[in-house]
Amino acid sequence: MISLQGITKYYPSKLGNQVVFDDLWFDIPDDHNIGLLGANGAGKSTLFRILAGSEYANKGSIKTDLNLSWPVALATGIHPLMTGRENTRFIGRVNGISDLNDFERKVQEFSELGNRYDLPVQTYSSGMRARLAFACCISIEFDVYLIDEALSVGDAKFKKKAREAMIDKSKVANLIMVSHDLEEIRFFCDSAIVIADGRLEFFNDLEHAISVYKGGAK
Amino acid sequence: MVQVRRRSRLKIWSDVIFALFIREIRSKFSDKFGVSWAVLEPLTFILIMSYGRSLIAGGKDTHSMPTFVFMMYGMLLLQLFLSTFSSSASAVKRNKPLYAFRQVQPISAVLAALLMEVLTKVLMFGFILFFMFFAQIEIRIDDALSLVMLTSLLAIFAFSFGLLFGLAELYVPEMLKVRQILTRPLFFVSGVFFSLQDMPQQYWHYLNWNPILHAIELARQAAYSSFGAQGVSASFLIMSTLAACILSLSVYHAFWKGAISR
Repeated sequence: MISLQGITKYYPSKLGNQVVFDDLWFDIPDDHNIGLLGANGAGKSTLFRILAGSEYANKGSIKTDLNLSWPVALATGIHPLMTGRENTRFIGRVNGISDLNDFERKVQEFSELGNRYDLPVQTYSSGMRARLAFACCISIEFDVYLIDEALSVGDAKFKKKAREAMIDKSKVANLIMVSHDLEEIRFFCDSAIVIADGRLEFFNDLEHAISVYKGGAK
Repeated sequence: MVQVRRRSRLKIWSDVIFALFIREIRSKFSDKFGVSWAVLEPLTFILIMSYGRSLIAGGKDTHSMPTFVFMMYGMLLLQLFLSTFSSSASAVKRNKPLYAFRQVQPISAVLAALLMEVLTKVLMFGFILFFMFFAQIEIRIDDALSLVMLTSLLAIFAFSFGLLFGLAELYVPEMLKVRQILTRPLFFVSGVFFSLQDMPQQYWHYLNWNPILHAIELARQAAYSSFGAQGVSASFLIMSTLAACILSLSVYHAFWKGAISR
C-alpha cells in the first residue's frame, strides 16, 4: 500500500502559491492497475513525481514498503552525448542492478535498437529515445511501475510489444499510469483514481471513474 | 527480468556518485580534443604568465623559487578553486533531470563534479611535473604532505561554496550572475601573480581575509621551504574551510528537498 500522509504541495508563482494539494490523506490500494484521471493541471504529474520521490511535498510524506519505479516519461535521465549502452548502464547503476551486463543485453533486445545501441543518443529519433527509456524501466523488477504517457510513442510494432510486456508485468506487479488516451487506460487498468480540486477519489470500477471524469453523474 | 539489489545507504551513495562521475567524464571529454585540451590549455597559460612574471622579476627566480614554479602553484590552485566552484555550482542545475531518480540527490551530483575536478587537476599537476622534468626546471617539494592537505582544503572550500551557490541558483536564477562577478577579481586578489610579500604590509589586511591567498602562499612554502611565506596561516584556511563546509551542509540539509521541488 502506498500511503499519502498529509501531503501539501504548492508551486510558487507570480500570482502567489499555486496550491495543488492541501493536506491530502489517501491510501492507494494494492493489487490494482490504476489509471490516474484528471483534467489538465489537476496534478496528475505532480502526484506521480511525489510518489516516485522525484519531487518532495512541502508538507507530509509518502509511506510505502513497495519498490516504485521512476516516472517513465519520454526520455527521463537519458544523456544525449552518451550511447544507449552507457545510458543503460547509468540507469542500472543508479537503480542498483546487480548484473549490469545482463541488464544491458535485455534492454538492447527489448528496445530493438540493434547496433545503434552503441551510438550516442543524440543521433536517435525521438521514438527511439522513448523506446530506450521504456526498455530500461520495464527490464527492472519493480513492484509498481509509474508510466507517464510513455506508451503512446513508438511505431505500431513497438507499441504492441510494449503492451504485451506491460500485460505480463501487470500479473506480478502493479501499474499506475497517466494517459489522456482513455482506450489505453481501459486496456491496462482495472480501476482508477480521479483527481479533482486537489482531492483524490478511488473507483474500483473503471467505467464509473471515467464517467465521473467526463463530468457525468456519480 | 533483472533483479534489484537491496543496498545500504552508503552503497547507494557510492553507486550513484560513481555513475554520475562516469557521466561527467563522458560529457566533458566527448570531443576529440578532450583530455589533451584540458591539460595543454592551462599549461600554455601558465607558461605565458610565468614569462610575464619573469620579465617583472628580472631573473629566473621569484622569491627563491623558479618563476615557473611560483606561477604554477598560484595558477593551478586558483584554477582548482575556480573550476571546482563553478562546476559544483552548475552541477546542481545541470543534473536536475536526474533527480527524477529518487536515488540521485543534488549533493551526489556536486560530489561527482568535485571528484572530477580534483582528478583533472591532479592529472594536470602530474603532467606539469613531467614537463618540468624535460624543461629542466628544478622539481622540489619539501613538504608534500602539507601540499596534499592544502589542496584538499581548498577543494573542500570550493565545493562548499559551489553547493551553496548551486542551491541558491535554483531559487534565484540571478545568483549565477553574482557568482560570475564574484569570481572575476579573484585572480588579482589571491596572490597568483604577486606574493603577499610583494605587497606593502599596510594593505595586507585587505587581502588577508581571502583563504585562497593563504592556500596559494602556503603551497609555495610547502614546495620551497626557503620561500618564507608571511602573513598567512594554515589555521585560518582550516577554520574558514570548516566554517564554509558546515554552513553549506546545513543549508543543503534544510533546503535541498524544497530546491528540487520547485
